[in-house]
Amino acid sequence: MADSSYDVVVVGAGAGGGTMARVLAEKGVKVALLEAGPTIDPQKEFKTHKWPHDYGHRGAERGGKAYFGTGSAFGFFTTASGGWQLDGEPYTSAPGTRFDWFRSRVVGGRTNHYGRMSFRFSDIDLKPYSRDGIGWDWPISYEDIAPWYDRAEEYIGVTGTVEGIRSAPDGKFHEPPRPKVHELLIREAGKQLGVPFIANRRAVITRSINGRQACHYCGQCGRGCLTESNYSASQVDVFPAMKTGNVTLLTEAMAREVEVDANGLARGVVYIDKHARAEKRVLGRAVVLSASSCETARLMLNSRSKPFPDGIANGSGLVGRYLMDTVGFSLRGTLPALENLPRYDTDGFGGAHLYAPWWLWDEHAKLDFPRGYHIELGGGFGMPGLGGFGRQARTAGYGKELKRMIREQYGCSIGLAGRGEMIPNNQSYMDLDPDVVDRWGIPVPRFHFSFSDYEWKQARHMERTFRDLIEAAGGKVLGIGNAARESEGIAVPGSIIHEVGTARMGSSPRSSVLNEYCQAHEVRNLFVADGSTFVSNPDKNPTLTINALSWRTAEYLAEELRKGNV
Amino acid sequence: MSSANGFISVDTLSRRDAVRRIAMALTAAGLGHGIDPASAAQVHEEIEGERTLRGEYTVKYFNEHEFRTLERLSELIVPADEGGPSGRDAGAPEFIDLLSSQNSELSGIFSGGILWLDNASEERHGSRFAEASEQDQTALLDALVEAERHETADDTNWDTREYRRFEVFGVKSASDARRGVNFFVWARRMVVDAYYTSPQGIKDLGFLGNASHTEYDVPQEAIDYAFDRSPFRDA
Repeated sequence: MADSSYDVVVVGAGAGGGTMARVLAEKGVKVALLEAGPTIDPQKEFKTHKWPHDYGHRGAERGGKAYFGTGSAFGFFTTASGGWQLDGEPYTSAPGTRFDWFRSRVVGGRTNHYGRMSFRFSDIDLKPYSRDGIGWDWPISYEDIAPWYDRAEEYIGVTGTVEGIRSAPDGKFHEPPRPKVHELLIREAGKQLGVPFIANRRAVITRSINGRQACHYCGQCGRGCLTESNYSASQVDVFPAMKTGNVTLLTEAMAREVEVDANGLARGVVYIDKHARAEKRVLGRAVVLSASSCETARLMLNSRSKPFPDGIANGSGLVGRYLMDTVGFSLRGTLPALENLPRYDTDGFGGAHLYAPWWLWDEHAKLDFPRGYHIELGGGFGMPGLGGFGRQARTAGYGKELKRMIREQYGCSIGLAGRGEMIPNNQSYMDLDPDVVDRWGIPVPRFHFSFSDYEWKQARHMERTFRDLIEAAGGKVLGIGNAARESEGIAVPGSIIHEVGTARMGSSPRSSVLNEYCQAHEVRNLFVADGSTFVSNPDKNPTLTINALSWRTAEYLAEELRKGNV
Repeated sequence: MSSANGFISVDTLSRRDAVRRIAMALTAAGLGHGIDPASAAQVHEEIEGERTLRGEYTVKYFNEHEFRTLERLSELIVPADEGGPSGRDAGAPEFIDLLSSQNSELSGIFSGGILWLDNASEERHGSRFAEASEQDQTALLDALVEAERHETADDTNWDTREYRRFEVFGVKSASDARRGVNFFVWARRMVVDAYYTSPQGIKDLGFLGNASHTEYDVPQEAIDYAFDRSPFRDA
């Protein structure tokens, strides 16, 4: 059987691959889009507007899995379609290190359930080395990327207000919803401490665009949205792209290798058809890798050939290196001012309505850590679910006092989560495990990871700040969040799910894998469109920047195809 | 919030109606094209098996005595009061039964726990837990709560800890109490969860979400209430 041939083969249908496929398809480029999992049917699969009591298990899943720690990642109602471990597809960590890796094998990838925080990188973020001599500069400036942020924001829809804060550049915003009561208290506490809380920037539309309905404030973005009021690569990129007729979606297609021709150019991708358990091949004039940072690096390292004995486009030896996650730390607290608060609907647009951008960006000389973090907020009268009142139950024992206390304290809990920039370091990287293959016969990633003092000191600053904020609002600290507890004061590496940096951009082929257009220095028809391209990992959740860079790369690639350079 | 503000109480409608009305409300408000109500409603046809609400469920795992004991525990842990009915009336025994019928580890915790409870009750009061007087039942639960607090307050080795205070309640040793506490914590956790995830529990809490609005509003009354009670009352 002849191998199918397309203009471009895109590996991975998440934020990067979805944007890539859509932008190319709109320009008439024929795209084969490979996805390692199935497609998704929002109408059938999303649990939007369901109550726990619609299910006999109330969300605990069959046999009460959630009670034994074996339920779905992020709970039964979330449309995560993935997990920290996947059957038959292991990964390993080098002795003494731990890295948790979340994979969503499904069209849309992790954008089906993600938090949708959408922050632009600033000029400071893109030139960190020039500023403090640590890490590396990006090969692009804020002026280079700003027009692509504009396009990405205008297309996917992001809320926010114009603030003029240098560390948090303004964008093309939809109107944000009003702050909730507990957020107003924390904002007031922030005023006393000099911590500014502003309208949150989330990929949710509050006015209808492109046939998508405005948000109806049910607060259930994580379940997937039946009205397409938030961004997911499946509903907003891939499905519209397919309507052009220029995209062929190949699902259950697990890429194994990028093949090269005699000239050292990419000629296509070898993949495992999971249904047939057989190897297949798809050819293209160009190949784009957007399989997620660690899958992309894994695929490159697994693509060995005569011109590329250490993996395709890996002459620098940097594929897999400088793996970063976000520094995570959270504190929970309770605000007595909220006891017996008059009830109102706090669901809102599915996340906090306020957040604090990094406010000390010009004061690092006075701090003992070089890079910043932003603060996310939690709280409100959430939909009652399993385990929601454990603390009150333990305190009250049982009986009428238990019910009274729960009524009084419902909605009093708040959470403050820090999301900080990690500095890339030599000890944090992934390579291929020499002994382990997955069920498709493909060598698996092996993680090595270490935070440095930079991250630990930043996390301690978060801890002090959050405690001060809770106490200034008259509250009491309850304890550190689950993710933090495991490594005693900083979230487990990988667990924030912002892993980036394994095939970074740069101006020199010796110190980077990709050029400023995310084109491989060594293979001119090989491109990357996901978080692996990142040179640093600012305290900004990565998805919006993946969208913007992918769009920029797609336009460049389309032009190169037209000119015949690729 | 009222219907005048565009609020739709999903809780009083069937799923199909709720989704249809949300779609219609948004379309009518001129906010773009609607989702196809029929296909949206189709999602909500799918109910994963039997619901565990009172009167909608057939007991699968527990025998009559065990189930009666769970009913009694559910009434004691979450009793009826002015805010809502009991855990029993919210389907807690049914919830525990469904999951126990699917998981032998869980059914073991409850069957074994009920036997422990009956044994402790027999020793002290001469009758099984479900048949004991309310006063005797609560005395035993009080002992377990006390043991749990002791554990939380002094988190050292269970086997060597002395439970002097429990002797009063007829619990003889630390390991005795521990089995009882483990069971009680499981029972309380699941009864509380079942109650607050039931329609009655949701109403008791006053949860107003899972709704649809064309505008998101925060009532001034709630803001004033919280600020008046906060350190910022004079701000």
